[in-house]
Amino acid sequence: MVLKSVKAALVASALMVSGAYAQQVDVTWWDFLGGGDGVRMKTLLEEFNTEYAGKIQVNATTLDWGVPFYTKVQTSAAVGEGPDIMTYHASRIPLAVSQGTLSEITAEDMAAMGLSADTFAPATFEAVKVDGKQYAVPFDTHPIVLYYNKDKLEAAGLIGADGLPSGLNGRENFAAAMAKLQEGGTKYGMALTTADGGFAFRLIYSYLCQQGGDLGSDGAWLPGDSPDKLANAVGLIADWVAAGQVPSYTDYPAAVALFTTGEAAFMVNGVWEVPTMVDLEKNGKLFNWGAIELPVMFDKPCTYSDSHAFAIPNNAGKEVDPAKHAAVLEVIKWMEAKSLFWATAGHIPANKAVTETAEYKAMQPQATYQPLTANAVFDPKSKNAGVASPLFDAAGNAFAAAMNGETDPVSAVAEMKATLDALQ
Amino acid sequence: MLKSRRTEYLVAAILIAPFVAVYGWMFLYPSLQMIQFSFTNAPLIGAGEWVGFDNYVRLFNDKIFIGAIWNTAYFVLLTVIPGTIAALAIALMVSRLKGWMQSLILSAFFLPYVLPITVVYLIWQWMLDVQFGILQQVIEPIVGQTVNVWRRLPWFMPTVALLTIWWTNGFSILLFLAGLRNIPREIYEAAELDGATRIQIFFRITWPLIWPITVLCLTIQLILQLKIIDQVYLFAQGGRTQATMTLVQFIFEQAFVKNSGGYASTAAVALFVIVIVFSVFQYQVLRIRVAQ
Repeated sequence: MVLKSVKAALVASALMVSGAYAQQVDVTWWDFLGGGDGVRMKTLLEEFNTEYAGKIQVNATTLDWGVPFYTKVQTSAAVGEGPDIMTYHASRIPLAVSQGTLSEITAEDMAAMGLSADTFAPATFEAVKVDGKQYAVPFDTHPIVLYYNKDKLEAAGLIGADGLPSGLNGRENFAAAMAKLQEGGTKYGMALTTADGGFAFRLIYSYLCQQGGDLGSDGAWLPGDSPDKLANAVGLIADWVAAGQVPSYTDYPAAVALFTTGEAAFMVNGVWEVPTMVDLEKNGKLFNWGAIELPVMFDKPCTYSDSHAFAIPNNAGKEVDPAKHAAVLEVIKWMEAKSLFWATAGHIPANKAVTETAEYKAMQPQATYQPLTANAVFDPKSKNAGVASPLFDAAGNAFAAAMNGETDPVSAVAEMKATLDALQ
Repeated sequence: MLKSRRTEYLVAAILIAPFVAVYGWMFLYPSLQMIQFSFTNAPLIGAGEWVGFDNYVRLFNDKIFIGAIWNTAYFVLLTVIPGTIAALAIALMVSRLKGWMQSLILSAFFLPYVLPITVVYLIWQWMLDVQFGILQQVIEPIVGQTVNVWRRLPWFMPTVALLTIWWTNGFSILLFLAGLRNIPREIYEAAELDGATRIQIFFRITWPLIWPITVLCLTIQLILQLKIIDQVYLFAQGGRTQATMTLVQFIFEQAFVKNSGGYASTAAVALFVIVIVFSVFQYQVLRIRVAQ
């Protein structure tokens, strides 16, 4: 096995050497895409490498998601050893920019790729900018959505004439719907990740936004009456847990298992769980299911979202090779054009042209929840925000206990605000 | 004579030079840099401005840091002495077995030690899962409901301590077993002839003779457990990380999540001092016990 891979490496390096003579450009690529995403990205990269054989070769490495990835990028870019291109969460861009880790994407770069601001949904494109400068190219939008068990909803009379769930908007209606489902023999109305306040914060933040509340940013966290609105959002989930409609202290994998085994009729989770459902259904192990935009519990529709984007690290002390830079742009351009395949991972392609194709419109449940991009809310523009950030950490600390009734929502919000205000 | 001694010194110096060089470069230099860093407001990477003792003042007023000291102390209390007693008890039992049976039982106790923390994490995470965990079958009849032990503060540290003992005890058991085998059989035979009871034999012969091993185990465990991070970090993820924070985790979080290298260095210096004080203190206490 080892010998085989050594041999493969030798052959590969020999190919690379001969390729170099033919002016082949090697592009070093880092991503954090594991699971269903990772498989699809590898397929895309293989396709790219075949199509560009002899011209551009992408050498990809997948690293661990979260703090390890971002720390590695930061340290390697600081000594000029970063990759040529990498995937990045839009929500993490402000911190990276404050650390000088990312190169700006210039107007010329965008023109070279044939892209512009109009290519993307406004909120998604805004998410990759800091102080008016663009630092990444959005590849997708990945919000949370409401998964539903269609068989159970049908039995409870909650499917409308259009074949989609109906009567779920408003907190009374939603609670009544969950009660009806439980009367029909389902153990829980909805599975939420109640043990992970950081993960659940995506839903809490959505409910804050549905009331028109704002998280604020450094120096002015939770302005105005936002603390009350945030407490309302947490209290809503705490009520469901107290009523036994949502299971308490449930971890991510357990929440998914509760839904896929039919013990919970609804689940709020990221669109990245779509492949899990598709695969189970293919093997005949799942009921009829679907996914829709989060129902409106308060005043207006709003859903938390983040975006996978392509970024170019600012490799310190390393001069930008024009041929390599052009190759990197070519890779991004190609990926943007091919993002229909990426949509099978559940993510909503950032490129609007792709989501308008007939193929995408036929893709379910993706096409059903895609319009929510118009109501998406992203992380605040702060170096303390983003996935696996101090903001999510503060939320995890405050809300894990509050959702499960151990502390009350108002003091949990006060605790979170105090943590955020103490950040330097 | 003098000349040859001088040559000896030279040879000795040349022989230890590679170690001293690597040690100085890889350990001493970064340690000194860390101390220097602790007086600056540096981010994770790059230089910062000199801020004097500001970081230290902030550190000693930092509620989360004070909490981290208590959590670490609590964890040490729950693991070091109980773990060593458990290891000694298991070693005593295993040493009474013979042949392949002994090997089998010993490897059963040693097996968890070879597992990486990630595997330990996943095993215990599922065993204690609030919806599907097998151990909830034990907790539910006693407490009256299922309990997510990773989110309820009174449960958290004891559970982590228990699984840490389960995980790391194999090594201590091996040390004790080696110590027990070093005790000559004749002493036991003589004691039996004199009519000593099993309890007397243990407290008068076995215990004093393996005391040095006990000291070693306690010291290794103390230093190891003062540096606790992996288990606490993994199990508290997404939950109440501030309330369960330990010292090394505090350093990690300041440096890699909050991007404050200077402040993280300050906490690291504090941990360094704590480890030294504790180790010297424990060593002295245990030496007094031997002198008696």
